[in-house]
Amino acid sequence: MALLKREEWQGFVRDVDWTPTYVDDEAIYPEWHSGTGKVPREAWLNWEESYKVTYPEYVATQREKESSAYAVKAALQRSNNFEVLDEGWKSATKMHFGGVALVEYAAVLGELKMARFGLNGAWRNMATFGQLDEMRHAQITTFFGHEFIAKDPQYDWTQRTFHTNDWVPISARNLFDGMMTAPNVVDLAIELPFTFETGFTNLQFVALSADALESGDVNFANMISSIQTDEARHSQQGGPTMEILVEHDPVRAQWIIDKSFWGSARIFAALTGPAMDYYTPLEHRKQSYREFMEEWVIDQFIHTIEDYGLKKPWFWDEFMQGLDTWHHGLHMGLWFWRPTLWWRPKAGVSKDEREWLREKYPNWETVYGDKWDVMIDQVNADNVEATLPETLPWLCSTCHLPACNATQSRDGKWRVRTWQLDYDGRKYHFCTNTCRQIFWKDRDNVNHETLIDRFLAGQIQPMDVGGVLAYMGMTPEVMGDDPDYAAWTRDYVGRAAPGLATPAGKAS
Amino acid sequence: MTQQTELGVEDRAPELVPLNAIFATDFVQILVPVTTANTMDEVAAAVAHHVEGKRVRALPYRKVVLHNGRALPGDLTVAEAGIAPMDHIAVEYDIPEGS
Repeated sequence: MALLKREEWQGFVRDVDWTPTYVDDEAIYPEWHSGTGKVPREAWLNWEESYKVTYPEYVATQREKESSAYAVKAALQRSNNFEVLDEGWKSATKMHFGGVALVEYAAVLGELKMARFGLNGAWRNMATFGQLDEMRHAQITTFFGHEFIAKDPQYDWTQRTFHTNDWVPISARNLFDGMMTAPNVVDLAIELPFTFETGFTNLQFVALSADALESGDVNFANMISSIQTDEARHSQQGGPTMEILVEHDPVRAQWIIDKSFWGSARIFAALTGPAMDYYTPLEHRKQSYREFMEEWVIDQFIHTIEDYGLKKPWFWDEFMQGLDTWHHGLHMGLWFWRPTLWWRPKAGVSKDEREWLREKYPNWETVYGDKWDVMIDQVNADNVEATLPETLPWLCSTCHLPACNATQSRDGKWRVRTWQLDYDGRKYHFCTNTCRQIFWKDRDNVNHETLIDRFLAGQIQPMDVGGVLAYMGMTPEVMGDDPDYAAWTRDYVGRAAPGLATPAGKAS
Repeated sequence: MTQQTELGVEDRAPELVPLNAIFATDFVQILVPVTTANTMDEVAAAVAHHVEGKRVRALPYRKVVLHNGRALPGDLTVAEAGIAPMDHIAVEYDIPEGS
């Protein structure tokens, strides 16, 4: 029997919808999951994805992608490709494997929620492909990271990270639970496919793949490209959802996109920023994190929101100023609290590297150079102990990242400031004014307890650094340390170094 | 039955007061536990312990505690100053003008 042509049947099957007779629509698509809000139910009939795919096409393409990714991996297993990689790049991959593998699995659940509660058959169809995509991403990322465990136990955190209470996954869990687990499907489609995937990860995956090739990691580049092609397809769920929401409830559309843009930007500053501006070897850097954000994320984001008739988020100035500070502060925090990491953070502040940082960020030396100088002098005085933590950084009650964003006051001084909120009988502290505002607007939402909250509530015992590391699931063979202290301190050996704490803890 | 009276803070055993603190030009807010009996000089030293000479070069000046925008005398205790758990304080060098 001859097969029908695609165009003869696809229109019938891609948006199959039932007309229920035994129950009403609300029973099948309850508001708390489907979230139509002010949008009339019939408006969702117009939901249409721009790139349509059928199940046979999907299976054939995915099969090909899988075969190709695993074939390259098998071939490279017999080479010394891994051994020759730079330690900084390896750290970027460890951070990626641990930070991403199980978020992909959480995304399966998000896609499944849209596949069940989406208010249009075509949307549910697209989300069904989306959940298969995310399952593949969880699997391929876990599997590719797993290969290296025998060579380096830090790769074990590919699978382990989100099963621990390390502060990095706590922060990511808070963000992604807010983006995928908690919201109804309309908000989810704006937060995940529209903002996070279209606005951030699609572009980051393209850049990351190029960085991987530049660093000689063909295997990783291959995996990332394979994943990115799926993202480009299923992230389309955002556009049609946004189109309908913005027509009927632009205030809600603006709030959801603003909130998720901010959360995405914060986590990007913590993970992508240090990888691009510090871990990637100088000779392999194509652009700074700020340049990457401006070219790939910000231009596109502004273009997109204008297309939908929306405004720039209210926090735009604070966000733009943060492009010069957030990730530098977070990098310093990651490095100083390095025993809490499952990778080896490079400090990356040799003279050449600093020159590059100064060129890309004219205020870098003023805001961060003095602190690095003290740490450099301590390493050169053979007092590495002074560069290790004895307390916790304060973690923001919204983004759960260290509160480490310096701003400049009118008198020209750069200082980290407090953003405080007294609410419901307790005090909260935030890293930025916007994190404080988002917490307030979203205060009825479920928020994870920060590590500070847990520590002060006595959940972490004993209440010292050892107790904190044990609570985080950190073990000695995994605990992060700088891979090469001499690489960034040898330029400064022999210079005058006043005002250092002595090993006894007393300033000299 | 003896009536119980609540003791004033000066008569009670020192209580733990965890603070959100920033030391001078440091890059991050940190958690610093002190007690109600600690003086401001002791609080300044407790905050400085984590930062001074480790991330911020030590300067030969007195350190002062700022709470709600007010510089507090060095001999005032946490209880007397009304600093409560989870409050924010900043510690700054008291640099004489012209130096």
